[in-house]
Formats: sequence, structure tokens, C-alpha cells
Amino acid sequence: MSEAYPGLVLLLVLQVCAWVLLLWRCWGVLGYPLDCKDEQGSIISCTSISLEKLLDRVIQHAELIYHVSEESCTLFEEMFVPVSMHTQQNRARNTCITKAFPIPGSKSEIQKISDKWLLHSVLMLVQSWIEPLVYLQKTLDRYDDAADTILNKTKWVTNKLSSLEQGIVELIRKMLDEGLLAVEHQQTLTRFDAQPEVVESILRDYAVLTCFKKDAHKMEVFLKLLKCRHTDKMSCYIS
Amino acid sequence: MATRLVFLSLVCGAVSVSVGEHLTTSEVPPKRPYFVDCRSPEQETFSCWWSAGDYQNLTGPGALSVFFQKNRDVWRECPDYSTAGENHCYFNSTYTSIWIPYCVQLRSQIQDIVYHQMCFTVDEIVVPDPPVGLNWTLLNISQTGQHFDILIQWEPPPSADVKKGWISLVYEPQYRAINMSDWKPLEVERACYQSVYGLKTGMEYEIRVRCKQAASEKFSEFSEHLYVYIPKVPTKETLFPFTMILIFGAVGVIIVLMLIIFSQQQRLMVYFLPPVPVPKIMGIDPELLKKGKLDELNSILSGHHTFKPELYNDDLWVEFIELDIDDQDGRSHHSDTHKLLGSENLNGNCLNIKDDDSGRASCYEPELPDSDMLDRSQAEAREEKASLLDSEGRAAHSSTTDPSPPGRSHPGATAEGASRSHPQIQSQLSSQSWVNLDFYAQVSNITPAGGVLLSPGQQSKIEKTAEAHSSPKTQKCQLAMTTDSAYTSEMDAKNISATPSLNGNEPKVTVSPYTVSEAPASSVPPVSDYTTVQAVDSQQSLLLNPSTLPTKGTPMPAGYLTPEQLNSIMP
Repeated sequence: MSEAYPGLVLLLVLQVCAWVLLLWRCWGVLGYPLDCKDEQGSIISCTSISLEKLLDRVIQHAELIYHVSEESCTLFEEMFVPVSMHTQQNRARNTCITKAFPIPGSKSEIQKISDKWLLHSVLMLVQSWIEPLVYLQKTLDRYDDAADTILNKTKWVTNKLSSLEQGIVELIRKMLDEGLLAVEHQQTLTRFDAQPEVVESILRDYAVLTCFKKDAHKMEVFLKLLKCRHTDKMSCYIS
Repeated sequence: MATRLVFLSLVCGAVSVSVGEHLTTSEVPPKRPYFVDCRSPEQETFSCWWSAGDYQNLTGPGALSVFFQKNRDVWRECPDYSTAGENHCYFNSTYTSIWIPYCVQLRSQIQDIVYHQMCFTVDEIVVPDPPVGLNWTLLNISQTGQHFDILIQWEPPPSADVKKGWISLVYEPQYRAINMSDWKPLEVERACYQSVYGLKTGMEYEIRVRCKQAASEKFSEFSEHLYVYIPKVPTKETLFPFTMILIFGAVGVIIVLMLIIFSQQQRLMVYFLPPVPVPKIMGIDPELLKKGKLDELNSILSGHHTFKPELYNDDLWVEFIELDIDDQDGRSHHSDTHKLLGSENLNGNCLNIKDDDSGRASCYEPELPDSDMLDRSQAEAREEKASLLDSEGRAAHSSTTDPSPPGRSHPGATAEGASRSHPQIQSQLSSQSWVNLDFYAQVSNITPAGGVLLSPGQQSKIEKTAEAHSSPKTQKCQLAMTTDSAYTSEMDAKNISATPSLNGNEPKVTVSPYTVSEAPASSVPPVSDYTTVQAVDSQQSLLLNPSTLPTKGTPMPAGYLTPEQLNSIMP
């Protein structure tokens, strides 16, 4: 018995090593819970979410963002914009320059857009507005305390936009099976410089708010179209 | 001259005013043609309409033209002047792009005058069509049948593409009773249904719904009115058992309460009207007094320095009383007093106290009906005693037995009275002044038959006092007798019995409540416990008046006499 003892020990050690190696390689495959961060920043274990739920959540976000942006716009208009400028005529003067690739506006054209294109458009919109909103917060700070509510709303919207961005990225990953390697933040401040007539900061801020409201509406509509296509493909393509 | 000037100025003023009026009216420019509004019902098409203003010559078709600019591009003329109606420019879906700025211009036919320009984006001018397909379903009717709830449902406007999510609408229903003028709005919600609560039966209601885009402020027109009516249902049957239950319940509760009250009347009386606590000697159980446990009582009372407990000293008694043993055998079943009466030597003034349950184990009667009476009697007793004591020469009885169980009767005040009376009694005893004071009459002799002969110590004085204060004395005696318990009753009885035999030593014990069995009671009329003293005879015996019979000869309550009884007894 004593002769086989060292042999047994060696065998045991080898087995342990093999198991460790095996498990090490399969560590990722076996799957452990993803490190997700909740709102407080603590790492909690994530459970995977279904596509429908994710889509619903994303649409909820978009609706809320649109609603709040509309409120901010109205408030700002009431507080700071002179009455003479309230007419639709003057409101529409503040044109918003769209991004690099134009998004079609008519319903028929939009319906022809593919899912992939829709998602990417939404993502692009979301990403393009994070920075201008941060800038807007800074400019709103310069106002007196009357703009506090607008400032708070803007801050809230900025936060929600970030989470919306995460949601869109996740959607893209799930629906299109694409992985986004890098998040590209475009410089968007230049777009407002192209409007030389907008000199006053009030009007500039007002323009930012109205343009953001429009884009938020766009996001909401696109996502809802996407949802329709996801639930009932046939009827959604018929205009 | 002045008048002329005035006249001229007036005329000039009038003229100027009239001219001015003319001028002002003519200076107002005519209203130019203008765009009234642009509207998109479903965010897919839109139309704009205008008004010619004051330019009546431009109202006809073709007089004015509309040009539009899309996204700051070239200006193009309106593609459709007819579809939407007169003075309308209709843009179909091909020309409509959302979120893109449009500008429209109202130009004259010659296209050289721009009357009006308007810029907008299509998403801002969305005003949807009213909802359609209103209907209602009954949710429930209240138990009383007075109110009901309904659920109203409707369809979104058919033009709006809500299904695909192209447009999001929110709805606001309103309702009112037919005869009311104000519409009551309900919550603005996304859902195509809503509940209405609290409608009254028997009243007709009107319901209408309108919608708007979620972020917009412009509501659509109201839908068609929906009429809701539910007739009143007679609900007497539902009310009937409820009221009956109430009535029966109340009656039952009342009955139970009455039963409780009647059954627990005594307790309730005690609870609500507690009896006034009677003063007690601390530490003495009234039970002891009832049972006549004198030893315990004495031990308890030894703590009180006001009271000198005197244990029953049989030896002392023996000094005073010699029992007739022969008689005792025969009369063993008789009470103690009878045994006492059977003794030949009777010096003492106290009857033998045997510890039995009769409760009459005291020669001192602490029971007093009233403290007032006690005071009176005591005062008088003291007076007499003082007078008597002076003439007394007898040796004081060392054995000032004071074996009264003070607690025999009600303790407390009576004990106090007893204690008060004790000294005088003691002095009485000591001086052996057996005067006929409030409590005692000295036994001078005992007849062989067992009768007790009472004789006062100080005869002269007694006589004097008796004659002088016959009535008060009698009263006193009466008092004394009445205040005592059975002892005095015995005394009375003996007095009574002794009355006929005063003159001789005839031991005629004719009447005694305690010797009823032996002595014939016929000779003497039935005597109660108490009688009045008529007079004192030559032998210093009391002559009792047997005629006066108190109405209540039968057991007096524990030796107390109420004042009323006392008054009734007194002659």
C-alpha cells in the first residue's frame, strides 16, 4: 500500500489541475451573472430581459423624455420669450439642423426605412443631444432662479437620455445581433453656430429646447413604429 | 362781438368733428387677406385655409394663391385648392413631411403682393378628429338602487393611425345630466375606455369624448353625444329586512339590558350608591363579635390604651355570685342568667358571663341607641353617682370587672361610649354604689326560687331622686333598660317578677323571658323586655309597671332601640 501512495497522490493532484484548467476555460461559457450597475452605481446581478419588455421600456423612456421636453419648452416660452415671438411663424424660424444623414419626414418614407436604419437613427439622435443638453444646463444656470424648474427638467432629461442610449444599444444588440464597439459622441455645438440670426442667448436656448422637443418626438415615433413591426409585421408595413 | 365769436367757434368745432369722423373712418386700411389656420388631422396630411378680409373682390376662387416652402427650399404653389374646400389648400401625404419647417404664403393672383405668411412644422399643427364609436356598459348598481356605475368606451378617430404608433392620442371624456348646463370633465388618459361612478338612477346623462395629441394643447372637436339612462328600481324590499333587523336588534339589546339591570339590581345599587362605611375598630373582625370570641377580642383590644381589657375572672364572679348547683343540674339547659338566678348569694351586679353564643356576655352594656341619649343618660348618671359616691362608704370593689365585650354590639362609637361609660361603671362598681342609675340595679338578694331582688344602694337618695325626678328617672331607667341588651331585659324581667314579691322573700319568679318553661306565666301578664318603673317601695325595690307594654315585645334588634320605638315605649 505504501508503494502506491505517492502514485495516488500524484494522480489526485493531476486531476485537480485538470479540473481547474477545464473550469477556467469554461468560466465564461458556464456563465456567471453579468455585472450590471443599477442607478446607485452598485454592482448587482442582472437578469436578462426579454425583447418585448426592453422595447416597452425604451418606448416609455422616449415618451417621458418627449413629455418633459415639451413642458420645458412651454415653460421657457412663457417665462423668457417675448410675447411677440410666440407666434408659430416665429417659432418655426428657429430651424434645427439635422445630423449628417437626413431623416425622411414623410410617413411613407419612414415606413420604408428598415429596422436597422430606424434603430441607428434613434441612437444617433440620442447621442447627438447629450452634449447640447449639458451645455444648455450651463447656460440655464446663468438665468435667475426662475429657470430652476427648466434646469431641473433638463437635468432629468439628460439622465434619461443616457439610460435611453443604453437601452437602444441593447436593443441593437438583441434585434440586429450587432455589437457596438464604441459610442460615438458627435460634436453638435457647431450646428447652432450656423444660425447667425440667433444672437441672443434666450432665443438660442429656446431654439435648443424646441429642436430637442422635435427630435424627442422623432425618437418616440420611430420606436413605436419599431414596436409595431416587432409585434405585427404584416400590418405595419402597409401604409 | 363775443357772441359771434362763440358761434363761429361752435360751428368750426362741429365741422371739424364731422370732418374728423370722416377722416378716421377712411384712414382705417381694409383688412388684408390672411391665413386663418393650418391643421393636420392625422400627421400625414395638412391643409391651410384663409380669409379674404375686407377685400371682397378677392373672395372668389383663384383670386388668391398659396405658395409654400418646404425646408427653406423653393417656393411652390399649392398642389390642391379644391379637395379641402373653398379657400383651402390641401397638402397630401406626398407633400407632407413631419418635423420639417414649412412656410406658406398668401399671395395675390398676380403673385406680386404677399398678403400673409405663416411658418410651422406639421407636428405642431396636429389637431385630430373626434373619437368615434361611443358606447357604455353597466358596471353595477348600488344596493340602495340610487346610484350606478358605467364603463364608457370609444374608438380613436379612424383617420389617426394609432395602431402603428404613428400618432399618440389622449382622450378626455365629459358627462352631464341632461338638465344641467355644465359638463363635468373626467381624467385625460391614453386608454380608450373610462369608468364613470356615481350616476343617479332615473336621470338621463349625456357623455362626449374628445382627444388630442399627447404633447399638444389643442383638443379635437367633441364626439357625438352618448345618452345613458337607467330607470329607478323600487327597492323597498331591500330596505325592509334591513330596517327589521335594526328594529329587532335594538329591541333585543334593550331586553338584555333590562334583564341585566333587574338581575343585578342589588349589585348595581351597591355599585352606584355604595353604602356609607360604618366606623369600625381597626383590626377587629365583626365575625368575632358575632361568635362571641371574647378572648380574641380582648387580645385585640389590649392594644388600645383607652380600654382596659378585663379578662373574665371567674374567681371574682364567684365572689359575687354563688350558683345553686342543685338547681343548676335541673336547669342545665337553661340559659346562663337562669343559672345566675339560681344562685343564693348575689352580691355582684353582674350576671355571670358564660361564653356562649347568646351574645349577652357583658354586664356593661355598651350599646347605646344614640350618642345623645348616652350623653344625657351618662350626664345624669354622673350627677347621681357623684352625689351617691360621696355618701358611699363601701369598699371599692377591687374587682372592677369590666368584662364587657365592647365589640358585642356595633363597635366603634359604641365602644367609645362603652369606654366612656366604663370609668363611671367602674367607679360605680368600686363604690358599690348600686344605685338605680342608667344601667344597673343592685341585686340585694336572691330568692331561693331564683328570683333576684333588686335594691338600690342609697335608698333615700334614690327615693328622693325617684320622687323628684320620677319621670326622668323612669325615663332614665327606661333608657338604661332599653339601652341594655338582654341583660337589662333580664333585669327588667326580674324587676317585674320581683315587684310582686318585694315585700317578702317569696321567690316567686313568675315571669321571666328566660324562665318561661318553669314559672307559670299566668300570674303575671306577659311582660316584654322593658317596662317602666313605677316607684320604689319601702324595701328599695323597684316597682315596675307591668301594664305598659311596648308594642313590640318580641326581639329587639340587637339591643338597639330606635328613637321612635323609645318614644312609643315611654309613657
